[in-house]
Amino acid sequence: MASAHNPVAGRPCQSPWWRPKGDIMGHYFSDLFGGSASILRSMWVTLRYLFTPAITVQYPDEQRPQPLRALNRHVLRIDDVTGQLKCTACEACARICPTRCIELTGTGKGKNRHPSAFTIDHNLCMYCNLCVEVCPFDAITMWTRIGELSSADRGSLVYDLKALTADRYYPSPMTPEKPSIPEKPPVPEPEKVEVGATAPAA
Amino acid sequence: MGLFDNKQIEPGVVTTTVEWLFNWARKSSPWPMTFGLACCAIEMMAAGASRFDLDRFGAGVFRPSPRQSDVMIVAGTVTEKMAPRIKTLYEQMPDPKWVIAMGACAISGGPFYYDTYHVVKGVDLLVPVDVYVPGCPPTPEALIFGILTLQEQITRGKRAQPGGRPTLPEPLVAA
Repeated sequence: MASAHNPVAGRPCQSPWWRPKGDIMGHYFSDLFGGSASILRSMWVTLRYLFTPAITVQYPDEQRPQPLRALNRHVLRIDDVTGQLKCTACEACARICPTRCIELTGTGKGKNRHPSAFTIDHNLCMYCNLCVEVCPFDAITMWTRIGELSSADRGSLVYDLKALTADRYYPSPMTPEKPSIPEKPPVPEPEKVEVGATAPAA
Repeated sequence: MGLFDNKQIEPGVVTTTVEWLFNWARKSSPWPMTFGLACCAIEMMAAGASRFDLDRFGAGVFRPSPRQSDVMIVAGTVTEKMAPRIKTLYEQMPDPKWVIAMGACAISGGPFYYDTYHVVKGVDLLVPVDVYVPGCPPTPEALIFGILTLQEQITRGKRAQPGGRPTLPEPLVAA
């Protein structure tokens, strides 16, 4: 098909639509100076960042401050009063888990019921926080800052009860500090208890 | 370098020293292949960008071609449609090659492990995987930690073997 730009067709060769019409030399020099100014402008941006401190987080030596509610590996909380796991093996987390990665068995009755086996398969976990939200005893948490879990085999990514039990106090956004442990078992109205009656944190 | 990979040569002082040198060189520049399949690729881009700067570990040169890359970071859901392409691209990589399975989907299918027909239940069914990085998606720190784990493995000369896949727990709820 003969196009308008085809000189063989006998018509004069027209410049394409993006090329300016008339005053070719003026457009040439304006393009030249405009391009140079654009390069200098971008080099000025680069030059300004040359003298600011680097934003790179030197990761293995230095940790980035994570967001307040960043979700990481699970940890089973320990009750400060009894020293036992808060978990009562009610299997609410196992039932709500969308990927069904929690598997647990419990022993005991009533308040003495605790998990005897508790595995969370981090090959499957999708970090949705539903197990934390559904837990009626606040026994499991994902605000743990334990984010580096790489391994060479999948078996070591299935965490058992020993690996999941908390080794320290894990703060939550609601309780950033460790609450003080009362001497006696908690009274029905904790608001009425005076400050002097509570012992400082152990 | 393939000369030292086959086991017909008896390991001696010279070959082990050269092996150490090669492993050091391989460790210091694991060029990853750009293999973003899903949302994990966003975190992989964040790990490669200037805040975390994978170039500090020699792994920041994301190659678009399997011929130029050493590490395949499988970031995202591996669907049945993508599976033959992954296998082809893995076989196109030159031989000292490693695979990082990034994210729950690439490790085991993750949220798609049960009740789906279209997702490969783990990229280790297709290619041997060296390092598993769990997370949904893993943070850039977790990916960098996985690359550091891989560098340790390369230094020790350990290679992934196909078929080391453990059995996963049975579903607790009837599907």
